[in-house]
Amino acid sequence: MDAATADRAPKINRWLPYWAVLQADVRQTLHGWVWRTWVIVSVLAAVGCLLYRLGVYREAGMVQLASKVTGDLLRWSILGSVTVIIVLTASSISGDRGTLADSVLCRGISRYQYFFAKWHARLATVLGTFLILGAAVLVSSHFLLQEDLSLLGSGVALLTLALLLATVVTCGVAVSALTNSTVMGVTMLWLLIYGTGFVLSMLPARFPSLDQALTRIQFMLQGQYDLQYLGQLTMWSAIVSGVAALVGVGYFARRDV
Amino acid sequence: MADNPSGLVVETYKLTKIYQNRQIALNDVSLTVEPGCVLGLLGPNGAGKTTFVRLALGLHRPTAGWVKVFGSTMTPNAADLRRRIGYIPTNPKFPPGMTPITYLDYMARLFGLPADVRKPRLASLIRAVDLLAVSGERIAGFSNGMTSRLAVAASLINEPDLLIWDEPTHGLDPEARRSMLELIKTLSREKTLIVSSHNLGDIDEVCNHAAVLSRGQLIYNGSLQDLKGRMRRNHYELDLEGDQKAIGKASNAIKNMTEFKAVTLKQRRLDLRLNDEATNTSALANVFMTLADNKVTLVSIRSVGQQTEQAFLDLVEKEESRGFARAYQSEEAA
Repeated sequence: MDAATADRAPKINRWLPYWAVLQADVRQTLHGWVWRTWVIVSVLAAVGCLLYRLGVYREAGMVQLASKVTGDLLRWSILGSVTVIIVLTASSISGDRGTLADSVLCRGISRYQYFFAKWHARLATVLGTFLILGAAVLVSSHFLLQEDLSLLGSGVALLTLALLLATVVTCGVAVSALTNSTVMGVTMLWLLIYGTGFVLSMLPARFPSLDQALTRIQFMLQGQYDLQYLGQLTMWSAIVSGVAALVGVGYFARRDV
Repeated sequence: MADNPSGLVVETYKLTKIYQNRQIALNDVSLTVEPGCVLGLLGPNGAGKTTFVRLALGLHRPTAGWVKVFGSTMTPNAADLRRRIGYIPTNPKFPPGMTPITYLDYMARLFGLPADVRKPRLASLIRAVDLLAVSGERIAGFSNGMTSRLAVAASLINEPDLLIWDEPTHGLDPEARRSMLELIKTLSREKTLIVSSHNLGDIDEVCNHAAVLSRGQLIYNGSLQDLKGRMRRNHYELDLEGDQKAIGKASNAIKNMTEFKAVTLKQRRLDLRLNDEATNTSALANVFMTLADNKVTLVSIRSVGQQTEQAFLDLVEKEESRGFARAYQSEEAA
């Protein structure tokens, strides 16, 4: 490059492409029908369930423990949400493949930045949505039902579930980077997540599993949690997420788009 | 920025792309693009033009060989190199829900341009491509011409040194096509351009160099003038005036001449195709003599087939007729 060109070349912000893709992806996800359906269905289910339990509590006088109601609600919403999250994440990169991805990847962005931006955007969207909805359910349960919720325990329970969802999101984005079509990605991820969940639930109790974690949510909400178990769960989630992200980014950085 | 000792903008060496061991899209392509060159990438559909472009941009990885841009090897992660390239894909698509302003801002951010640089630049580009009136409207409702102009603006947002435009006039009406060609001519004064097209008229008008691809192989790489020089001038149309019987008689006389492989008379238009070995001047002299003998007046004469198009078709035809010979020649060259 000659001196004149160098003089007029503007200073480049190397993080800007990452932020641009991240922001665009968050905006795109929030405007998509999958995310909106997920939120609407989750809110309706939570409101319906809470009102029913409140009715039983107030009209029939049957005590409804907030920890039990919230634990059930969170568990079922997680089990239901995983399918939606699979669709949301498995389409993150493969859904853009073709000319739309061309118009981004032919600019001044590396594949690494693109992958990380997509991954972090989906993490932010899914975890943000879950934490806001989960916190709203906890606050509502606390005030409407028999209050036996521990503040710290509630935080730990939400974070534990967020950790599990983060693993699902990471696997989803990684699979999306590996496959050519969204349908293929969704199918692969669905089989992977539910298949792994099923296999882990068959193993002895010393192996952490999604099923176990969800069963313990009620006790966590009451403040009864096992730090050693949580540490183990965190470690395994981090390992699975790390390996999935490495495989995804490593493959995507070398593949044709 | 890495040094560029060769001074070449694009350089490929034995560039080969095989898709999933099933389709050979590009085979052994070695070419160079010098600064200031306007290279027309020619070839029929499926010739490998888009594959070449995508390899040059790092969207695809070569199966063998390499491509260097500004002296450095292009890879999927060579963001620094792509910061100096402006690209327009065929049928550009845009993220849904964006307006020209948000889209160009997004593109500029993808190049890492800070706000104080990108905002004035996108504003002047929107004005330049005549999208000011619709700058706040959604791109989804835009016509082909408008989306093409937006794609042009996006490819110029980073003030690139190299422009790679894949079928830039595809789907445009005549007026928009004319504007696009004028824009290419203007840009070619200060930038290096690679224009991929199967519209030979466009290439003929704006390019000074041509690379012709056929079934993934580079069959010509050089100046457009040289390409035209290869053209066989062997097809003429003559418009005649005079008595129809006399015209018919002259036509029959011409049919008997050995220089012509086909002579067709349609009303008062005579279509002549010369044999490959015939010299056009002497053959046409004989035609004129015959017309004069039969008292037929010549209204006009023209060489049929646009020059570049004819040269291109000749090249492709020759390449296809070589068959197995090309394999032996390649081995000898090696």
